[in-house]
Amino acid sequence: MLKIGIVGCGKIAEAHAAIIKNIDNINLVGTCDREILMAKQLAERYGAKAFYDNLNEMLEKEKPDVVHVTTPPLSHFEIAAKCLNSGCHVIVEKPFTVNSDETKKIIELAQKQKLKISVGADEQFSGIAIEMRKMVSGGWLGEPPYHMDCYYCYDLGDEKYASAFLKNRSHWVWQLPGQLIHNIIPHAVMKICEYMDLEEIQITAVGFTSQFLRNLRESYLRDELRAIIRDKRGSTAYLTFSTQMRPALRLFAVLGTKNGLLIDQDHHALIRIKGGGYLSYANKIIPLNNYARQYRKNMFKNIRLFLKRQFQMKRGLYNLINSFYNSIINDGPPPIPYEQIILCSSIIDSIINQIYSKNAS
Amino acid sequence: MVKDNYIVDVGEPVLVTGSSGFIGRRVVENLILRGFNKVRCLVRETSDIEPLKKVINSYDANDRIEIVRGNLFSKDECKKITEKIKVIFHLAAGTRTKSFSEAFLNSVVTTRNLIEAVIHHSCIRRFVNVSSFSVYTNIKKKTGKILDEACPVEDSPETRAEAYCYGKVKQDELVMEYGKKMGLPYVIVRPGTVYGPGKNFIPGRVGIDSFGIFLHFGGSNPLPLTYVENCAEAIVLSGLVPGIEGEVFNIVDDNLPTSREFLWLYKKHVDRLKSIYVPKPLGLLFCILWEKFAKWSQGQLPPAFSYREWAAYWKKTQYSNRKIKQRLGWQPKVTTSEGLEKFFAYCSQIKKK
Repeated sequence: MLKIGIVGCGKIAEAHAAIIKNIDNINLVGTCDREILMAKQLAERYGAKAFYDNLNEMLEKEKPDVVHVTTPPLSHFEIAAKCLNSGCHVIVEKPFTVNSDETKKIIELAQKQKLKISVGADEQFSGIAIEMRKMVSGGWLGEPPYHMDCYYCYDLGDEKYASAFLKNRSHWVWQLPGQLIHNIIPHAVMKICEYMDLEEIQITAVGFTSQFLRNLRESYLRDELRAIIRDKRGSTAYLTFSTQMRPALRLFAVLGTKNGLLIDQDHHALIRIKGGGYLSYANKIIPLNNYARQYRKNMFKNIRLFLKRQFQMKRGLYNLINSFYNSIINDGPPPIPYEQIILCSSIIDSIINQIYSKNAS
Repeated sequence: MVKDNYIVDVGEPVLVTGSSGFIGRRVVENLILRGFNKVRCLVRETSDIEPLKKVINSYDANDRIEIVRGNLFSKDECKKITEKIKVIFHLAAGTRTKSFSEAFLNSVVTTRNLIEAVIHHSCIRRFVNVSSFSVYTNIKKKTGKILDEACPVEDSPETRAEAYCYGKVKQDELVMEYGKKMGLPYVIVRPGTVYGPGKNFIPGRVGIDSFGIFLHFGGSNPLPLTYVENCAEAIVLSGLVPGIEGEVFNIVDDNLPTSREFLWLYKKHVDRLKSIYVPKPLGLLFCILWEKFAKWSQGQLPPAFSYREWAAYWKKTQYSNRKIKQRLGWQPKVTTSEGLEKFFAYCSQIKKK
């Protein structure tokens, strides 16, 4: 039985604790937060036997096998390092760290300690993302280079909500080097990294402040991003992050030399895009029927998942945590390759440097 | 207007947290009308203070009111804010979140910081903790019986689908604990559904509109309404009247309308929304089935409806304001019919906009 500890007992820790509670042979042994009342409430609600306001004490007394780090990102590096040095495997919420230097150091430390580490990139483990992975490795796309298009939008809410966010400068999001974008895009960048080559990545990013925020007298915060990424083999990706596009899309398309695939994250649908076409007018009729059939199939699949109790909103996080625990128990590879985590961090660094540089628009 | 036997004089400093909120600014107004001239109003960094300023300006009371932007998560700031304060009206709360941890953080951690600060200064005479009707459990009480201050509070609020209820139950527990262990002179007030101009809504006790059509669950249940100015008056009195330390007071007005009457008036004056009445047994069955499925599916559906929720919101219940009238001498100055008239006029105006 694995013994689990959680450090950081806010909103996202609830999702982790709820999942831990639903996995067999796993025992939540302790919760820890600088604010002892927060550690206590999480422990009481999810049946942890102990709670702490000192991480060293929790590590020493409970000796957890795995620690979930769900604190604000600025503390991830220090806390993860402390846990690894105490002999614990670690899963860290996204953003993994605040920059790629920290990412590399923490992964090196995990490897040196012969311990496992992962990042809470839960969207990589949704049912459709897993299916996409299988299809790509089965050769559906053909050989690289690939082209990817990722729309990742975020709704800032109405003026009142956005104003409250803008005024709340003590929130940790404001302390991240890339602020709002830094907190949101790791999911999108992680999707792209999975199908990118690891070497010689070129990135061109443009970031700007939307008119909506300008109207609220905000001119520094970048809430719009367009980036182009290219690897050594010639695989490319467009990344669009927007707070203003409606609908607030979360789409991810990968096109190969043979066929393509499209993930519609919001509707939990995976669509196969066939490379070949039909002759003349047939091409304007038959493929549409094919797409309609695929969407209908996705709908029935979602209904089936719902009836089979496998359609929780945080199912991706459940799959990821479960895979991470299994990799520890069976001494298998971690669910997300370390190279991918490092690449993701490097791309985010580059994007942020470009959009917040003096010359940025 | 100030009575001689109140525990605080109009020249002594009092603090209102959450003072820019719907109820908070009416509490400030009530204190101004009573002649208090050292009222410290705590507002968040992010709060819109224009409505509060409007109230203060309307009484030309700028020299009597101090608006302080502050953060109750900071123990140091709490110490500064509470310096020399004799009475605290603690209205600040996190009301919008669905996360239990966030509700706990916003309600309990902030309250603990505030209490520890006043204990540090040791000059507090009354800590008025503004709670809510949502803390009461209604499970064991028979249908149609009176809900009063003696009724039990939720013993496992984490099983209610309401982060706000969880936060408030834990906040009340904390205040009581400090009263018991550290001698904090507290009073807890629990307003029913507070309504009035400034808030356009249909109370959840009437029904819900989550499924495209308004499902009317309330039927003939009386609604525990309190007009915002009446509520503010009760909160202020609970900070002033002597000899009530450790007491709990429910705040509801007289002549409460039924849910059906409220909905009829809303449709007449504000919006002719389509609604379906859900008979009590059907509503109960819906809540029980939802709860069972939510549990069986391991959280696939949020536990938004449950037997506890049904009992707390839609079980037929009578309400009493006898204790608050007797002990505080409170009387609702705005009658329910006047209050509803003003409220619906406001809602209608908002609707037209």
